[in-house]
This record gives sequence, C-alpha cells and structure tokens, in this order.
Amino acid sequence: MEGKSEIVEVKTFPFPAGFNWAVGPMMERFIRTLAGRKVLGARCPGCGYTYVPPRSRCGQCQAAIAEKDVVELSGKGTLISYTNAHVAPDGNGNLKDLEKPIVVGAVKLEDADSVLFMPVEGVKPQDLKIGLAVKVRWREETKGAVADICCFEPVG
Amino acid sequence: MRRRVAIVGYAQSHHQHNMQKTREDMVFEVCKGALRHAGISREDLDTVITASTDFLDGRTISSVFVGMAAGAFLKDESKVEEDGTFALYYALMRVLAGTHDIALVEAHTQGSTMNAHQVSCFTLDPQFDRQIGVLNDIAAAALQARMYMNSHGVTDEHLAMVAVKNLSNAAANPWAHRKMAKVSVEEVLGSKVLCDPVRELMMSPVSDGACAVIIASEEKAREITSKPVWIEGVGSCQEAYIRDRDLGRLESLKTAARTAYKMAGIKEPAADLDVVELSEKFAHEELMAYESLGLCREGEGKRLIEKGTTGKEGKIPVNPSGGALGADPVCATGLVRVIEAAKQIRGEAEGCQVPKVRRALAHGQFGMCAQKNMVFVLGGNGS
Repeated sequence: MEGKSEIVEVKTFPFPAGFNWAVGPMMERFIRTLAGRKVLGARCPGCGYTYVPPRSRCGQCQAAIAEKDVVELSGKGTLISYTNAHVAPDGNGNLKDLEKPIVVGAVKLEDADSVLFMPVEGVKPQDLKIGLAVKVRWREETKGAVADICCFEPVG
Repeated sequence: MRRRVAIVGYAQSHHQHNMQKTREDMVFEVCKGALRHAGISREDLDTVITASTDFLDGRTISSVFVGMAAGAFLKDESKVEEDGTFALYYALMRVLAGTHDIALVEAHTQGSTMNAHQVSCFTLDPQFDRQIGVLNDIAAAALQARMYMNSHGVTDEHLAMVAVKNLSNAAANPWAHRKMAKVSVEEVLGSKVLCDPVRELMMSPVSDGACAVIIASEEKAREITSKPVWIEGVGSCQEAYIRDRDLGRLESLKTAARTAYKMAGIKEPAADLDVVELSEKFAHEELMAYESLGLCREGEGKRLIEKGTTGKEGKIPVNPSGGALGADPVCATGLVRVIEAAKQIRGEAEGCQVPKVRRALAHGQFGMCAQKNMVFVLGGNGS
C-alpha cells in the first residue's frame, strides 16, 4: 500500500444517558422548600460552616449534620466574582458561541459559607463589579424544583 | 525515603490537535520509546501503571487495550484515573514497598475523542450545579482568575505575558502542540474572548498525546543508566468541592509543595530549584502557582512575570518547554512535566535546555480550577 491511508472515524453513542440519583432527605427538603421561595442551608454543629445547598456531613471537620441543623437564609448575597461567558460546551464535545454572552456569577449568600455559581441578570455592564449586593430572582411560578431559582439580580 | 528511586527512561508523543492515530498505537509508541531510551526490554518490567479517564477515553474499564500496548501482558498492572503524576506516585509507592524494582508509567488522552471542556461539566454536582447549567471549567477558571486578579492588582496584560512566555518557549520544543515563536501580548489580548478575562491563547489547547516514564530502585537504576534522575520529594493534596473552597488561592498546591519540599530538604524554593515545569491549564494559574510553590510571596506572582524572573533566561525558569499552554493531552500533561524536568536535569532538553539544572520541580493537577495537585522534586548529579 502506498501513501497515507484515509482515517475512518467511528462515532458511538453507547446509550442515551439518563441517571437517577437519590438526593437524600436534606436536599429533598431544600428542593421542596424552594416552592415557598425560601433558600435553606445547613450549619455544621461541629465547626459552624454553613453549606448551601445543605449537606449531611461536613467536609471541613467531618461532623455529621442533621435536619435540626437546617437554617433558613435570606436569599441575599454578594457577588464575589463574575465572568461574561461568550462560549459554552455544546453537548457534543465542542464549544459553541453563545448568541448573547451570559453573566456567570460566584455568589456568597448572607450567613452561609458555600459559594453558588449562578446566572446574574438585570445588571448594566458598567455596574457589574465584585462586591455587588444581589438576591435570588424567583420564577413566576415556583413548584419545588432547582429551576425555581431563576438567577441572581441586584438588590433594589 | 526508605529506598531511593530514580527515573531511568522516558518518551512522549508529538502532541497535536488530532493525531489520526489509534489510542493503542499512540500508547505503544511511547512505551516502546521509553524502553528504548532506558535501554531495557519489556521482560525487565515488574509492574505497569497507566493513567487516563474513562469519560475522556469514551469507554469504561478503558485500560483493557492500553495494558497490552504498554507491555503489561501477563504482568502486574493497574490503572489510576486522571493525571499521569498520580500514576507515577502509585508506581513510586510500589517500588518503595520493595515488591517491585522496575515500573513503567504511562498516561494519555486524545482530546479529539471527546472535548475535555465538555467532560468538565460532568464533574459537577448533578443535584444542583448541573441543574443550574451555567458552570464549566472555562467559566470556573474565569471566575477564579477575576477573584485572584482583584485581590492582587493583576491585569489582563500579566496573564497575556504568561501566555507569551510559554507559547514562545513551546516554539523551541519539538514535542509541543501550540508553538508561537513571535506571539505578542497584543495578539494574546486580541485572541477570542471565551469567558472574560480568559481568552483563547490564555487557555491550554485540546491535544492528543501520550507519554511514558520508567522508574527503578537505586540498585537497578545504577545498572540501567549513568544519569539517573532521583525522585527526592513528592506531595499530593486536594481541595474541597468548588462551592466550598477559596477559589482565589491554590491552597492544596501549597500543601503538596510543602510536603515535597520537606522530603527533599528544600528550604528556599526560589534558590534551591533550578527549573519548574507546571501544568497551568490557564495563564492565571501559573501566577497563582508561583505563590503557592513559594517562589515569591503571596500577591507577588505578577512581579516574577514582569521582571522576566521565570523566563528561559531568568533566575528561576518556569515552563521552558511551554508548559500546558504549549500542549495539553489532559491525563498525560502532568507526566510530560516530569519528563521535561528530567530532561533538564540530564541535559536532554534540546531547544528548551536551561543551564546548570541540578534540581527541578514538576507539577500535575486535575479537576476544575486545579482542585487536586501533585508536586515532584527531582534531582540529578548523583545527589
């Protein structure tokens, strides 16, 4: 055989991946409580670290966290970082250009230690800065699902 | 360490965008290459450890065909997930335990099989972050970069200077993927904005590539080569999940480095190390790593790049090979750094060689925003 052979590429989709995860009682309560427009966290009885969404064990001090340790948060927080995302993975293994850049924010909630990574909307580009006070914008109809949290927006 | 262990042979592929080669052929070539470089044969190997990630390989138990290509037929064999430096750590422990004398470590990824940025999304918490659906490794890196830059007055230009240094260094590296001898700060800043402040040339390219390293106990190492590269120190550490760590610093890299330095007897890293090879997936990670590795004080990373301290001619050259910005065959990237560091010590670094290298540091990482870090300190000249 002379020369370089043509590479025959093979594409496979092993199965349409649908995974079912049990979320556990703490996360279930977090998700169900979103219907009432409330954000729950879990405060570690060992070290005081507050997780959002709640967790049943503490990564910092390895204490067990129980349902009694669940706390209600204000849903307000501070933007500690942000980026204008122009691209995102397209689901098929490539990057796609977004039609319009979206603002992805790192939000530290009041009285919590975890940082949430959320879309941020309703901010003029010149007002977008670290330290901006933000709050949850809820979907018009909440039903007890993670999607009830629409995004974060500036306070006031 | 209770038993001294040395690197005695290595080989890597010509990392590139799409190698148009089967994974098995690619692995076979680097493993044969490492055996040839060491001057030993497959029969001399006691154990073989490979590294890859099933998601990136597109199959479960992905080492099935790799072991045979790596020379593990009817031998002791194991596989670790993620970076090749984790496989080297595992192999080192096997030799230290005294149960094996010679180990081959292999690592690979073909980015052309499945884009690593896509796979990054599957590492997120499925119950919340994946439901929200806006986070991926590029956006996360951008958030980290802005947090770090805001704390220490680092500018987009500083990130661009890191990219210029590494991409132009890569131009002299025959194995690198993205070589840009004449790239400028303006060109980097003008490259496509992915998630600001991260631009295309500040992020590692998606590469196909593999590499292999052979290690041996002191007795065997001295039989095999007159230029053993000793593993003097090693440290490994990982951060909490991305929601629960301080993204603005690489605390786990700091701990990994401290552990490795203690083992190697390094007191002043900037003076005691002659060259550093980093797995910086994004330009800002290199500046953060300067600080975590103790090459400068916290917040002073930008000064090293401003003053050229980490340039090829500088006091402490970092990534003379071009680093991960020069080529990023994901799971192989950290082990390639080990090879580049060993090459510097043996004086085999071709166009990337810096003068008088006795001690070198090699870094591997895995996970979003460098969640898990591994540091090796290597030494030569019979030290």
